[in-house]
Amino acid sequence: MYSIETKSLTKSFGDLVAVNDISFSVEKGEIFGFLGPNGAGKSTTMMIFTTLLKPTNGNAFVGGFDVIKNSKQVRENIGFVQQETTVDEYLSGRENLLLQAKLNHIPKNEINQRIDEVLDLIELSDKQDESVVTYSGGMRKRLDIAGGLLHHPRVLFLDEPTVGLDIQTRRKIWQYIKKIHTQFDMTIFLTTHYMEEADSLCDRIGIIDHGKIQVIDTPKNMKNDLGNEIISLVIESNSNYDSFLQELKKIEFIKKINEAGSKLTLFTSNGTEVIPKIFQISSELGIKIKSISLTQPTLDDVFISYTGHEIRDDDSKYNRRREHAKMKRLRQ
Amino acid sequence: MNTIAYDAYTIFWRELKRYKKSRSGVLIRLIQPAIWIIVVGNIFSETQPLIQSVGFEGEYIEFMAPGVIILTAIFTSIFGGVNTLWDRRYGFMNKALTSPISRSAIAIGKMSAISLIAALQASLIIGIALAIGVTFPNPLMIIPIMGIVILFSLGFSGISVTLAATAKSQETFWGMINLLGMPLFMLSPALFPLELLPDWLAVVAKLNPVTYTILLVRELMTGVSEGGVPILISVGVIFAFVVAMVGIASYVFTREVNKPF
Repeated sequence: MYSIETKSLTKSFGDLVAVNDISFSVEKGEIFGFLGPNGAGKSTTMMIFTTLLKPTNGNAFVGGFDVIKNSKQVRENIGFVQQETTVDEYLSGRENLLLQAKLNHIPKNEINQRIDEVLDLIELSDKQDESVVTYSGGMRKRLDIAGGLLHHPRVLFLDEPTVGLDIQTRRKIWQYIKKIHTQFDMTIFLTTHYMEEADSLCDRIGIIDHGKIQVIDTPKNMKNDLGNEIISLVIESNSNYDSFLQELKKIEFIKKINEAGSKLTLFTSNGTEVIPKIFQISSELGIKIKSISLTQPTLDDVFISYTGHEIRDDDSKYNRRREHAKMKRLRQ
Repeated sequence: MNTIAYDAYTIFWRELKRYKKSRSGVLIRLIQPAIWIIVVGNIFSETQPLIQSVGFEGEYIEFMAPGVIILTAIFTSIFGGVNTLWDRRYGFMNKALTSPISRSAIAIGKMSAISLIAALQASLIIGIALAIGVTFPNPLMIIPIMGIVILFSLGFSGISVTLAATAKSQETFWGMINLLGMPLFMLSPALFPLELLPDWLAVVAKLNPVTYTILLVRELMTGVSEGGVPILISVGVIFAFVVAMVGIASYVFTREVNKPF
C-alpha cells in the first residue's frame, strides 16, 4: 500500500487549471518533494491531500483513505505544517503543543509524555514555558513542525518548510526533518522551491510546473540523466548558426542542448573530450566562441532542462491578469 | 456527542487562554460601557419624572444600569467572532480543519468562550455600577442575571461567528457589526421605558431579543416589572433566540470554512 496515491488528479478554478491530471504515488517511509516555482500547483495539491480542497476530477488517497469519501480518517492519519507559522503567539510553547495534542485526540494520559518527547527532539525543552512572542522565526517553525508530529501521523505534510528563514536556520530545520524521519519512520511529503532543500532532503522529487508533473525521480538519477557534466558556451552567432547546432548534435556524448540566444548549454558526458570537438566545428564554420566552461550539473540545471526556464519567477511569463483572476477565484 | 463536547472544550480553552493573556483588551472593552453608565447615566439623571411615570421609583442610573450591562454583553460578544477571520488568515483554522475535530465543534467552542468572556466583562460593569451607587434590592439576584447574560451573549456570539465566517475581509465584518450592534441596542428599552416609545418603534422593539433580555434583567435587578411582558415570555424569547443563533452559526460556519479563504 502506498502512503499517497493519486490518479488523474485535477483541480480547476473556473477555467484556470491549477493541477492538471497528475498521477503518482509515494512509498511508505519515503521523503517525497514537490519542486516548482510559485504558482506551479504545489500548494493546491497539498491542500487536496490534507482535505482542505476537493479535487475537480480524479482521486487521491492518503494513508490508504480516499480524501473525499474518508476525509475524517485521512485527518486522523496526517500531520500538516503550513507555510506560514501558525503557532499561537499568546500561548507558551508547551501550551501550543497541548492545544495541538487535544485537537488530535491524543489520549489524556499520553499527552505530557508526547509533548516532552517532541520538545526534546526540536530542542526547545528549556524554552517551553515562555510565550511564543519571545521566540525567533526558526524556533516558531520548529514548534510548528513539532505540533505536526505529536500524534505520530502516518504521513507528515510540510508546505515550504523553510521559506523565509536564513540559511543557517534552514540547515538546522533540515537536520530536524531528517531526525524526525529516522525516529518516527514517517512518510514525509514536502513542497519547496529551493533546489538545495529538495536535493538534501528528498528520496525522490517530482518537478511540477504549470500544474503538471514534468518528471519524477531521485535527485541523483535526475542529475545523471543529464549526463554528468555541463558545458556552457557563449558564441558570436553568424549565418552558420543552424549548421553549427546540427553538427553539435552529432557529437555522440551530448545528450541535450538548451539554447538561450547566444548562450548554449550542453548536457553531456566526457566533457573534456567534447570541448576540442566543439572548437573544431566552430572553426570550420567560422563561429567565434567567446567563453566556454565545464561544470557538474546541479538540480537547478535539471529544473531548467525539464521546464525550459529557471525556477525563479520569470517576469515575461508572469501574466498579471491570469494571476489576478486566479486569486479572485480562490477567495470566493 | 462526547467528542463534540471534548473538541468544543479544546477550542473554548484556547480562546480563554488568549483572553487571559490580553489584559489591555479587558480594559479597552470596559471603556465604552463605563462611559455610558457614568456619563450618560448622569446626563439623563433629570429624566427621573419620565421613568417615574411608568412606575419606577429609583434614580435614572438604576433604571439604565441593566441596559448598560446588556450593552457590554452585546458589544463584547458581537465583536468576539473577529478572531475567526484572523484564524483563517494566519493558519490556525487550517490547522484545526486538518485535525480530526468536527467543524461545528470549532464554532460551538468559539461561541461558548465569547459568551463567557462577555459575561465576565458584564460582571466588571456590574462592579462599576455598584461602585457609583447603584443598589441591588436583592443581591442574590446577581446569579440569575449572570445566567441570562451568558445565555444572551451566546446568541449574540452566534451572530458574530456567522458574520465572521461569511465575511472575507475585516472591513466587511466591521461594517456589518456596526450596522447591527448600535440599532439593536437603541431599539430596546435600554435607556428609556418601552411605554414611552412611539407605537411604531415599540413594535420594532418588540421584535428585538435585546428588549426581552433588558426587561428581564431590569425586573430581577430592581424588582419593577415594566413593559407588561411576563417573565416566562422573556425567558422563552431568549431561549428561542439562542437556540436559533447557535444552530445558524454552526451551520453557516461549517459551510463557509469548507470553502477556500
